[in-house]
Amino acid sequence: MAQVPTQELELLKNLRGVDQKEYYVPGHRTCAGCGPALCYKLVSKAAGADSIFLGPTGCMYVANCSYMCTPFSYAWTHCQITNGGGVASGVESAYNVLIRKGKYKGKLPNIVVMAGDGGAIDIGLQAASAMMYRGHDVLFVMYDNESYANTGIQTSPMTPYGGKTTFTPPGKMVPEGKKLFPKDAPQLFIGGHPALHYVATASIGYPVDLINKCRKGLNYKGPAFVHIHCPCPKGWLYDCKDTIRVAKMAVETGFWTNYEWENGEYTYQHIPKTYKPVKEYMKGQERFNHLNEEHIAKMQAFITAKVKAPGKPIEVPVLGPREA
Amino acid sequence: MPKEAYMAGCAATANGAKLARVEVITSYPIRPYTGIMMELSRMVAAGELDAEFVHGEGEHGQVSVTQGASAAGARAYTGSSGVGVAYGMEVYSPISGGRYPCQMAIADRAYDPPGDFGSEHTDVMSVNNQGWILGWAETPEESMDNCIIYYKIGEDPKVMLPQWQVQDGYFVSHIPNKVSIPDQAQVDEYLPPYNCPHALNPQNPTNHGPQIFPDQGPAIDLQRAQAFLNTPKVVEQAIADYNKAIGRNYSAWLEEYKTDGAEFVFFLMGAHCRTARFAVDHLRKKGAKVGMVKLRFVRPWPTAQVCEVLSKFKAVGVIESQTCYGGAMKGGELQHEVRASLYDSPKQPAVCSFMAGLGGEVISLEEFYNMAKILEKNAKQGKVDQYVYWVGFDNGI
Repeated sequence: MAQVPTQELELLKNLRGVDQKEYYVPGHRTCAGCGPALCYKLVSKAAGADSIFLGPTGCMYVANCSYMCTPFSYAWTHCQITNGGGVASGVESAYNVLIRKGKYKGKLPNIVVMAGDGGAIDIGLQAASAMMYRGHDVLFVMYDNESYANTGIQTSPMTPYGGKTTFTPPGKMVPEGKKLFPKDAPQLFIGGHPALHYVATASIGYPVDLINKCRKGLNYKGPAFVHIHCPCPKGWLYDCKDTIRVAKMAVETGFWTNYEWENGEYTYQHIPKTYKPVKEYMKGQERFNHLNEEHIAKMQAFITAKVKAPGKPIEVPVLGPREA
Repeated sequence: MPKEAYMAGCAATANGAKLARVEVITSYPIRPYTGIMMELSRMVAAGELDAEFVHGEGEHGQVSVTQGASAAGARAYTGSSGVGVAYGMEVYSPISGGRYPCQMAIADRAYDPPGDFGSEHTDVMSVNNQGWILGWAETPEESMDNCIIYYKIGEDPKVMLPQWQVQDGYFVSHIPNKVSIPDQAQVDEYLPPYNCPHALNPQNPTNHGPQIFPDQGPAIDLQRAQAFLNTPKVVEQAIADYNKAIGRNYSAWLEEYKTDGAEFVFFLMGAHCRTARFAVDHLRKKGAKVGMVKLRFVRPWPTAQVCEVLSKFKAVGVIESQTCYGGAMKGGELQHEVRASLYDSPKQPAVCSFMAGLGGEVISLEEFYNMAKILEKNAKQGKVDQYVYWVGFDNGI
């Protein structure tokens, strides 16, 4: 069937180009220094007012939505933690038919799922995968704070090796706390969804890059997946003033890698001139405090192998808040 | 012009959905409802119906897509059977609480274990308190008609509730019957396009389903309950209008079959009503004072009507194709509803349940005759010997 008209969002050159208007407005109850809240603000600026956001249950549902006091100035709906991909598929299908029949005058709205790591690649994986397989024109954002933080910091498949959570407490029998290595979410989607043409990873430490990736994802016809690293002071146990520092340190140590994958090819990968040891990243976070040198070496080996992922490396850092 | 055809319940129901001009359809295969989606996918592929056809990844996904489509303002349609109905469970309350008037066709089926394809009311009756309108069809034609009527009821601004439109698996879904298909123009006049007053729309942004604090919960629950209190009048009007527009003769809540002078009745819903009619005809010829009362809606439950009608008789046999293990009457759920409806009646019939048709077994005429013998005795003695009979087992039947 014929594609309905969609929107073309402009890519930014620098921080000055960012929309001054707030779409994710004050009035929510997120923690001081909340990474996911900053992520929501930036993704909202990327998408703008002509959007429908879907919020599966998670921090960004519970902490944002006291009744009649949501911070979303655009059309927004809650969905279950299980079914962000499903409800978004329904919204997109509805708009396709309503526009085709002339019952809605306008372009296809930007449809954005804002799922946490659980709602994206754990309990929500089936719905997310089905949405991408079917090719719905939806941007699926995974705001990754590496735990089920809303329920009090329990382990998720994104919780790093060695991460202390309330379900992976370190103890005599389990000295490292979390024994497993995390899922590789972008690869999970890249690996098996022929209708998916745009996947990117981004970090709240690099807002222009984050906004542009969301816009590119929205401009692609069909599904897009953007995985966003969102440090969480409450869950990772660092001082709330350090959120951006932690986000940047993740990139500088290779713990987090920003890259893009378009139409089957890796088109961009941010690689620092030299990687700092991952220990530098871990030492500021109390969730790793119980680890011994052997554990840290295991983590470093994992990260060293991971940063060799394929891509077209670039060596200039992407624009950050102070660099525009 | 209306068209006469022979079709099974699945095809007839698909024709109902087509006549209702559904806009987003979400499928997932499970017997026996699958035929509805096979027929609708054919209609969409052939250009006979302009709708988005989405392949769900399971019933949970199906119901989720349907929620999103309905929330965005489209007339949304899905369906399932048996364990599939159970798998969609999480999403039923968000849909009725969000007041999204989508429709789910169900060809009912037994739960596991063991794997059983047969018709049973277990699937829907186990989820029936999630805030959906719910009723059974006896024939393919009634299933087609209910599809259209239920949208009319559910989309009424005083109601705004989703609907489970149920037919018995195989007995209705798979057995061809004569169906009179209404004219599209007639249906269009009866059922105008859906106009959602609170759709997810960037041009008029609203927020749906924000979190609340416990003290805000009761008021919201009350609104959903209030919608069910508003529903009966809308049901009666919608059915009267449909009868007039399409030329049918449906009663809104209960259909009485040969109850004039009856002392005892079978009380049931769905396909087994057809066998019951034959049984009543036969027994009447032999002089038995028997009739049948057919139930058309389970939600909203027609309390006053059930009380008024059943109080006329000396004995009532509730035929149940589902069980409430360990429940108050140790039988099925219908007896609970019937007894609750009769509680304030000055005239109390003797009420017992017959557990019959479980697993999709046919309830034979012979079994209806045997049930009638028990009811005749109950009517005569003015009380029941036991509350529940498992038909076909060694407990007197």
